[in-house]
Amino acid sequence: MTTKDFDIVIIGGGHAGVEAALAASRMGKTSAIVTMDAKKLALMSCNPAIGGIGKSHVVKEIDALGGIMGMAADAAGIQFRRLNLSRGPAVWSTRVQCDRRHYNDYIVEYVSRANKIEIIEDLAGEILTENGRVKGIRTESGEIILCEVIIVATGTFLGGLIHIGEKKIKAGRIGEKAAYKLSDSFRGLGFEISRLKTGTPPRLNGDSIDWDKCQIQPGDEPMPLFSHQTKRVAFEQTPCYLTYTTAKTKEIILENIKRSPIFSGQLNSTGPRYCPSIEDKFYRFVDKPRHQLFLEPEGNGTSEVYPNGFSTSLPEEVQVAAIKTVTGLEQVEITRPGYAVEYDYCPARQIKANLETHLIKGLFFAGQINGTSGYEEAAGQGLMAGINAVLQIEKEPPFILDRSEGYIGVMIDDLTTRSTTEPYRLFTSRAEYRLSMREDNARDRMADYAEKYNLLPKTVLNSFRELQNKTKQSISSFKKVRLTAEDLLNYSNELNNMNSMTLEHFLKQPRISIARAMPLLVSYNGEFRDRLEVLERAAIFIRYQGYIEKQQREIDKFKKLEHEAIPEDFIFQAITGLKREATEKFQRFRPDSLGQASRIEGITPGDVAVLSVHLKRHKATA
Amino acid sequence: MMTTTSQKSSINEDTIVAIITPPGEGGIAAIRLAGRQSLAFLSKHFRAIRKDESDFKPFLMRYGFFVDDNLQKIDEILAVFMPKERSYTGLEQIEIFSHGGSLVVKKIQEILLKSGARAAEPGEFTKLAFLSGRIDLSKAEAVAEIIEANTQKSYDVAREHLIGNYSEHIEKLRTELIEILAEVEASIDFPEEEIDPEETSQLVDRLNNLAQSIKELADSYTGGRIISEGFKVAIAGRPNAGKSSLFNLLLKQERALVTPTPGTTRDYLSEWIELGGQAVNITDTAGLRSGGGVIEKAGQSSAKKIMGQADLIIWMADLSQKKWAENLSEDLNENLNRNSIILGNKIDKVSVDKKTEELLSDYNVLPLSCLTGQGIDSFKRVLVNAIAESMPDLTSGLVVTSARHQQKLKSALAEIKQAKSKLAENQSPELTALDLRLAASELAEITGRIYNEDILGQIFSKFCIGK
Repeated sequence: MTTKDFDIVIIGGGHAGVEAALAASRMGKTSAIVTMDAKKLALMSCNPAIGGIGKSHVVKEIDALGGIMGMAADAAGIQFRRLNLSRGPAVWSTRVQCDRRHYNDYIVEYVSRANKIEIIEDLAGEILTENGRVKGIRTESGEIILCEVIIVATGTFLGGLIHIGEKKIKAGRIGEKAAYKLSDSFRGLGFEISRLKTGTPPRLNGDSIDWDKCQIQPGDEPMPLFSHQTKRVAFEQTPCYLTYTTAKTKEIILENIKRSPIFSGQLNSTGPRYCPSIEDKFYRFVDKPRHQLFLEPEGNGTSEVYPNGFSTSLPEEVQVAAIKTVTGLEQVEITRPGYAVEYDYCPARQIKANLETHLIKGLFFAGQINGTSGYEEAAGQGLMAGINAVLQIEKEPPFILDRSEGYIGVMIDDLTTRSTTEPYRLFTSRAEYRLSMREDNARDRMADYAEKYNLLPKTVLNSFRELQNKTKQSISSFKKVRLTAEDLLNYSNELNNMNSMTLEHFLKQPRISIARAMPLLVSYNGEFRDRLEVLERAAIFIRYQGYIEKQQREIDKFKKLEHEAIPEDFIFQAITGLKREATEKFQRFRPDSLGQASRIEGITPGDVAVLSVHLKRHKATA
Repeated sequence: MMTTTSQKSSINEDTIVAIITPPGEGGIAAIRLAGRQSLAFLSKHFRAIRKDESDFKPFLMRYGFFVDDNLQKIDEILAVFMPKERSYTGLEQIEIFSHGGSLVVKKIQEILLKSGARAAEPGEFTKLAFLSGRIDLSKAEAVAEIIEANTQKSYDVAREHLIGNYSEHIEKLRTELIEILAEVEASIDFPEEEIDPEETSQLVDRLNNLAQSIKELADSYTGGRIISEGFKVAIAGRPNAGKSSLFNLLLKQERALVTPTPGTTRDYLSEWIELGGQAVNITDTAGLRSGGGVIEKAGQSSAKKIMGQADLIIWMADLSQKKWAENLSEDLNENLNRNSIILGNKIDKVSVDKKTEELLSDYNVLPLSCLTGQGIDSFKRVLVNAIAESMPDLTSGLVVTSARHQQKLKSALAEIKQAKSKLAENQSPELTALDLRLAASELAEITGRIYNEDILGQIFSKFCIGK
């Protein structure tokens, strides 16, 4: 039996595991990624796309904190889009369709070049602890790996069980083993474990699709990119296509619905409401005659196509029959069947805001084990877990983003204060302070942290500081430029009065979109004429300024409570005068701050008042 | 249940205000301000009677007028400043002693709220006292009970029942708001889904209805005040019409000065009586007429103010005046557009002919005599009926009795108005959503809190979403 020694052991080489290892590497710590297949790092198990509404904000934040997801998506992108462009800039969202293979290759290559990361091809079997602190892991092949900190990022592999109709297969991804012993190890340590499920559609052979019957959806020009470190992209833009199910599809699916494991009772775990299976859609919204499907290419050199919107766990023959009734797919060949996968997760009230478990010191959870779904959500947690693992080893205070700083903060706070009832994904509506947390200012929000924790090369940070300065200059120049009546002629439909106004005032006009304003900004900003990004950032700043000031008052109120920390040794049971339910909730969630305590489900403002009083007393006597 | 938002009352930020004497009548009422701006807020509204007493020294009582933003005198007050080192709450503190009329006290509180003070939560002064170490730490657990008890003590069993309906009603309003918000949010978070959010015009209609309901609730504060503070009656009329006589008659005691020289009731007198089972506050006002001296004018302006705030006005005409009908017609135009009863006093001094009878009936005048007591009983019956009719409908339970709640409702209303105009102007939905969220959180501060999950729950239950 061999023994190896690392600072950090990361169980799982998915989107979370990879970000964790890279963050640790940047911060100078050694790590081992324990994964079954070293060539499958950060594989996209489902949809070959990164970003989308709410998620893209996380990708930008990851990028601003030195993560890899944004760069990899840019490098492997085959279609780049900016969603929600007709709404305000706070909800603009980048979405990049990727070449699945290239994305995975890019990351494998990047990780191999990173310092201090070792990949161990094995299956983690047991968490080893000593005096309530992690010591290392034992793999299923019997190897012992010692470490100071463990990050668990097992995805759908923890107790993974695939369902295709009546068929059940123990696997985390089709054709790959699942980790069952590890679940037992968690149970043995006293963790509460529950089940969630998610699903994926069948994959199609693009050569058998009648594209003429589908509606083309081209990418956007200029290409919106995730990362400012991206110098070039590998591929030309490729279009996606839109098509619809037919009356016949509905008929076949409803006829066979009993054979779907969810409807037959074979599968009881909850799936995501925002990503229902096609059978679920027809069943729950029975009045809807048809549903849309997006046909998305899986890559540049492959003809495989991902039918987004057709996730299913019906038996394979029903999948085939049903999908052939979709417009344009009459002759289609299925290359791989769709399936549902059930997996273990540990309800996230068992972790703290730094992603470490309450139960075992040095044990961190990231990604689906916390009940989330999505590559972006996983990567965001992986990055934070990696940074916090290093900080713990160095005995530094944790790095916690709050709800007003970023979507990563919103996500982790939601996870630690709410019970998960379905796989969690981000939406912009989850962010109360949405107007201040935009794609365009992700780096403004993260730069100080990136600098503090050494997460980005100096050159990258410096060029960003320069961008910040130019933005400031641009903002003040907008205040000075006075527009003439001639300038405004083009905007007579959007303006209530055509009196001469400053560029700043013009940008505050609610009906002038930023896109419409750009030509005028370019013509007046000699110095930054070619820096569209500078102009856009300045314009967004001005557009939102008043609203953000209004929101800032809410943020200030919120921050006060966030800074009231609850010590780890605080005994909630000792609080007299608190309702029993409230005491139990506090004990279960173990909030880190008064703010977090106030957001725990079922906690009333009165409970928080009582807690606050006792907290003050505790501090006074401590 | 009433909820507190004490978690917002962080120790060094807000300046809080509350009436600390029990509601209802008393000789003197006390109002307390605590927080960094206590002295600043008072100074803005305090005018010392003696110029050399306008500065506040610790624990020295000051005497002067409490004035509103237009420097109108509200009441004579005594006030004392307590520096934070020696105050109950451990914060800079002011205590104001005003006359005990609940209207005056409320007015002072409202003016301080408008200046930027925040209404104190139940038990908050005590909480602050504890937090600052002013009261025994070992009594900490009592604080929780105080928070509960203060809200419960002030409501009898019947009212608790009302409050139950009341918070359900607010919860209903909040749910409607969340549903509207979900429509707006759905269009932001699911732009590529085939969902059809409601038409803008439909959402605007829904917001209009919602705003109307919230406004009604906020306006019910007046009715709520009647429940908690009694029904307000003002006796008004020209000088020497016999207002004070009536006032005294109703009180069955000689409290107001009654002299034959016109214009001697220069300020007002106010007393409580019980009529038809309801606490009624009767105020005798200075006579209203054109001309008169400076002092009399001041009295008149205060009379008009009291009339403005009364729930019912008793207007007295002097039937012994030859031109009483002409005068009354003039007065009605000028002073009376509200709930009122018109009395014709001194019926004992006139012989009632047919023309007088016609005039009395034309102007709907109740004849009586304060001297002989003739007509008093029938007047009281009319008064009791009028009071009963003006009482808010208690069966619906939709009555706001707390100034803090009214404040929240008004803020919610303001946000909804902004959201409405943004929707109507087709502005970016994330801006409309901001207003609606702020409105929802104002309402949530009355009944509970808002979870983002509630919004998503609405979206998923309504729209088929899923690519």
